[in-house]
Amino acid sequence: MTTPAVQLAVDAAFREEWGRVVATLIRRTGDWDLAEECAQEAFAEALRRWPVDGIPHRPGAWLTTVAGNRAIDRLRRGTRGAELLEQVGLQAPQLDTGEEAMPELFDETDEIEDDRLRLIFTCCHPALPMEGRVALTLRSLAGLTTAEIGRAFLVPEVTMAKRLTRTKAKIAAAGIPYRVPPAHLLPERTAGVLAVLYLMFNEGYSASSGTELIRAGLCDEAIRLARALQQLMPDEPEATGVLALMLLQHSRRHARVNGDGQLITLEEQDRGRWDRTEVQEGLEVLESALRRRQVGPYQLQAAIAACHARAASAAGTDWQEIAGLYALLEGQTPSPVVRLNRAVAVAMAGDIEEALAVVDELSGDARLEKYYLLEATRADLLRRHGDQAAAAAAYERALPLAPSEVERRYLLRRLQASGGTDVDSPG
Amino acid sequence: MKYLLFICADGLPAPEDLAVLQRECPVWVEEMDSRGTRLFGRELELPETAATVRVRDGETLVTDGPFAETKEFVAGFDILECADLDEAIEVAAKHPSSWFQTIEIRPLMDGLDWDEAAMRFAAGDNATGTTYCLMKCLDGIPAEPQVEESIIREGNAWWQDLKERGIGILAHPLQHKDTATTVRVRKGETLLSDGPFIETKEFIGGISVIKCESREQAVGIAAAHPLARHHMIEVRPFVSE
Repeated sequence: MTTPAVQLAVDAAFREEWGRVVATLIRRTGDWDLAEECAQEAFAEALRRWPVDGIPHRPGAWLTTVAGNRAIDRLRRGTRGAELLEQVGLQAPQLDTGEEAMPELFDETDEIEDDRLRLIFTCCHPALPMEGRVALTLRSLAGLTTAEIGRAFLVPEVTMAKRLTRTKAKIAAAGIPYRVPPAHLLPERTAGVLAVLYLMFNEGYSASSGTELIRAGLCDEAIRLARALQQLMPDEPEATGVLALMLLQHSRRHARVNGDGQLITLEEQDRGRWDRTEVQEGLEVLESALRRRQVGPYQLQAAIAACHARAASAAGTDWQEIAGLYALLEGQTPSPVVRLNRAVAVAMAGDIEEALAVVDELSGDARLEKYYLLEATRADLLRRHGDQAAAAAAYERALPLAPSEVERRYLLRRLQASGGTDVDSPG
Repeated sequence: MKYLLFICADGLPAPEDLAVLQRECPVWVEEMDSRGTRLFGRELELPETAATVRVRDGETLVTDGPFAETKEFVAGFDILECADLDEAIEVAAKHPSSWFQTIEIRPLMDGLDWDEAAMRFAAGDNATGTTYCLMKCLDGIPAEPQVEESIIREGNAWWQDLKERGIGILAHPLQHKDTATTVRVRKGETLLSDGPFIETKEFIGGISVIKCESREQAVGIAAAHPLARHHMIEVRPFVSE
């Protein structure tokens, strides 16, 4: 019988250890599918054994040993088994899973820590398709099932299974190395890993209501992975920065959508509903990153989020500081979206005309042609400027570009408030 | 591992780019040869010299031009021996073509037969006849297993015959197009993308290098390959060295 305590211990071990077990098995066998299957069996075995034998002191080592033994078993039974076993040095005899008998084979703590880094860099290799990188990271590091990942990305399980198979097949066939990249590749590859984690976070964050609610779990997974990465790369301030950014954004999740699934802008959010514990942690994590004095784009975005987190109201926000941070961000990663955000901060700091001039300038940028926030921002600035008719026209231009129902309803509400022509005027 | 680099162009290089290519290509070749990374590489004649060969109902159909009707075309290729994909990417990013155009990296299937004839060709021996590249273009529809088996069996016999006649120099299949990676270097940054250089349903599944007397003979040899009955084969001369 599985007791609640054992179930809790297995669940906790799953969250903590899945990635480690899989990562180590991939290094030792070179076989991703085998690693996943054996890890799965090890957790099933834990559910059977732990109620009888008690919960081991080091669940991770226990699980890795059991999974490793399963792998040896399977390889022995396989046709190429003996040959492969020799290659990977897995010839250890069948081992007891008791604590004392812990084999040295799986007791190389440093190596095992490195394994998770190897795994994350391999999953996020830039030669893999982006959607494959995200899916494989969720499968092999976070331990989500194929069905769960499919649901999170709104695709059928078979489609997701194919995507995972294809991604793993490319790793093997194209010779993508299972390693932490050498120093000369590390900065760009690290940026690539952070981009995958932040994309995963945003997939969840942009879907916070109704039928899409299931995707919100992606935020938790992304934060968990960012935490792990931050511990594995303590000297990389951008890894710390991305964690701070996620925490600070995530703290606003309950306030950004109302009961009807309507999007609430930062300005209108009930700041009492922000998760203070997460805000506090986010601010502390950011502080520790900034102390290293190697500011990068994620730290800057987190610093902007921190300005909001510290302010009691939109009016009480240090918009001057935010505009300055956006200017720094634009210097590091020039992008029309960053420029647009800077314009908003400039307007909030009091200079609406300057902000409108920036928006006008951006209108010619082909990269923003399909970006609903350009027209929505223009509309908002015009509204603040007192030009309701021009604001309504801009909201109407933004409407067909809205990426989801939540944004569409927000724009409709705004359009109504500014006396738009094709909807009933507000009472 | 062995990789094939397709040098992919989308037109003739601009004069200033051409000057860079002419200056830097030999530097790249020398470095990669001395590292033991580059087994060989050759430039192909322009795509208007190509013939694409299909055989349907016993009839040989030849169309002028390359297999894909896109502005991108294969301008040449190199075969590399690298530790892993990261090394292949690094080598591709050093190739000056990646600075203006695109390079596709495709892993080769295991077991490249690197014999005397191949080595002589790699060394630039072109004494008699012209060398042609036959690019086997699959249209992405998987053949039934028994068809595939017969293609492989017949294809092997076809190659055996060409080797015996001194026509066949080198032939090898590539890994599936899903294993391809394209490399572009822009503003000093290496940009990678997953998949082959053109997004058509046809893709190059393998290459053969033959030496023969005329384009007609090369077309006839291509038409005799079983793949010509199911897919198509592009025939294009190499630039003579």
